[in-house]
Amino acid sequence: MAIPQLELPEKPGFSSLQGVTFDQGLSTEDMVINIGPQHPSTHGVLRLVTTINGEIVKDMEPVIGYLHRSKEKMAEGRSYFQYQPTIDRVEYLSSFFDHYAYVTALEGIANLKVPKRVQYIRVICMELNRITSHLLWFGTFLLDLGATSPFFYAFRDREAIFDLFEELTGARMMYNYFRFGGVNADMPVGWLDQVRGVINELPARFDEYEAIATKNPIILDRCLGVGLFNLQDCLDYGVTGPAMRACGVDNDLRKTQPYSSYEDFTFDVPTESVGDVYARYKVRMAEMRESLKIIHQALDNMPGGDTAEVKKIQAEVDVVANEIKEAQKRVALAKKQEQEPVAADVTLAEKTIPVINADWQTYGQKVNLMTFKPPAGEAYSQVESPRGLLGCYVISDGTPKAYRVKWRGASFSNLTILPSLMIGNLYPDLMAIFGSLDIILPEVDR
Amino acid sequence: MTESKPTDKHTSIPLPEGYLPTENKVLSAVTEIAKGMATVISHVGREPVTEEYPEVMPEMTNRFHGRLSLLAKSDGTDLCIGCKACAKVCPCDDLIQIEMHRDGDKKPVIDQFTIDMGRCIFCGNCTEVCPVDCIKMLPDFELADYSREALVLDKFDLTLKGNESDEWRAAHDLVPTV
Repeated sequence: MAIPQLELPEKPGFSSLQGVTFDQGLSTEDMVINIGPQHPSTHGVLRLVTTINGEIVKDMEPVIGYLHRSKEKMAEGRSYFQYQPTIDRVEYLSSFFDHYAYVTALEGIANLKVPKRVQYIRVICMELNRITSHLLWFGTFLLDLGATSPFFYAFRDREAIFDLFEELTGARMMYNYFRFGGVNADMPVGWLDQVRGVINELPARFDEYEAIATKNPIILDRCLGVGLFNLQDCLDYGVTGPAMRACGVDNDLRKTQPYSSYEDFTFDVPTESVGDVYARYKVRMAEMRESLKIIHQALDNMPGGDTAEVKKIQAEVDVVANEIKEAQKRVALAKKQEQEPVAADVTLAEKTIPVINADWQTYGQKVNLMTFKPPAGEAYSQVESPRGLLGCYVISDGTPKAYRVKWRGASFSNLTILPSLMIGNLYPDLMAIFGSLDIILPEVDR
Repeated sequence: MTESKPTDKHTSIPLPEGYLPTENKVLSAVTEIAKGMATVISHVGREPVTEEYPEVMPEMTNRFHGRLSLLAKSDGTDLCIGCKACAKVCPCDDLIQIEMHRDGDKKPVIDQFTIDMGRCIFCGNCTEVCPVDCIKMLPDFELADYSREALVLDKFDLTLKGNESDEWRAAHDLVPTV
């Protein structure tokens, strides 16, 4: 096998490499090493067949599929609601996003309306989930670079948010909370204040992280100018999300195609111009702060406010509605018995039954989950997940089971750029570059 | 392996001028490391965020997805009507198995109700579709056992007593059925 002669690339970022030539008459031999599938830094089961010459990577081939669980095929054998819990397992670090993509695709096919309150709850869930996902990335990325303390700090704050999720959905990571046209249950009483309490503390924590990591000389040396790619590469390889925004383009679905009432919120899309590991780091750190902004606005403008208030109004409405219904019954009974109904009953029965504001409900139109049968049709929905563009394509043939479900995971596309980033690069840079792409293997293999 | 790989074009992207720090690296390194260390040291003496689990039991929330159970009527008789809705929406094949017949008054009688907790994924689908609010999840998460067979719970293991069911319903604002 003829391996093309390796030319030492001009690598402006790594200053210590400048002016050093490796061709000094020494005979070097290529070596093939397997990184993974069981490797702590591959964040799952990824195998990288790497050919190295000295410290320089000459060839790299990712081998995927160790975690393949046929998630797309599973949809064809299960009813829509039956399939929903298994989506959590596709991308377990931010499964609210997968649920959102799946649920909106079906809402599109079945033409279900989503109340404003539900949209706001979904926004809060997704943005909190984005923070937990980025926090885990922050911890493990720095762990790969050799820093241990940030990992524990990130997990502490992540745990506080998971407690909120557990209160809301009953599970820490496998939420199964969104439903077709609504959510599983309204928020617990006082949940909004709990969220406020947690996110008020987070900016100080983020400052702490930045104090430890952002200007640290070791981090700077390992991240600045490493793993460079530009916008053209993003388009060629389909790289999306923070990795794309680190190349200087503010492409964010929340801005370009607002979904779930994102148009109501004011927030910035953080971008960096350089496109190296450090830029991706900074974009993600800035994104967490922007998420907090969105959550604050959603909490303050939640239609109906806290669940306690909605419940109170609902109880008042129920009392009036019951009175009218009773009067209507009495009038009907009197007519049946051919008697003259009481005049007070007649006027009461003619009133319209009051209903609570449609925006405050947790369901637009409640579907029977067991027999949910959307009409024949197809829909594609996409969502800006923490890793990039996440798409879900559902084809319905009018039966209770999906004809086809296709997932477009951001991790898979982001992984494809890794070999070309690594060829000609230093082997020790692998963990910095790989970590900065923020790939999760269950989403790659599905 | 293919013989020719795409050339390495990414490493030749030029960095913008002045991107790499040019000032005295030693000085900034010392100050930044000192800042980081000060942040880490400020955590000394902080209240621990972890719980000593077996001694201190965590308090689970009301909606916690734990062990499945069957609620009973207040007098302790079966609430389940054997409609098999839970088995129908369960994402795991044959996890919930129900055998029932109807007595002389066409009332349903549950002969056997088996759940294999070893294969349950705790999604909560069954609890949501139950028309009589019978199958519910308890805040019980200590399910480990010595054999797989021990995790297959039958109707006797699953069904709660009448007063326990009432307690559960009171904690979850559920109107008791019958």
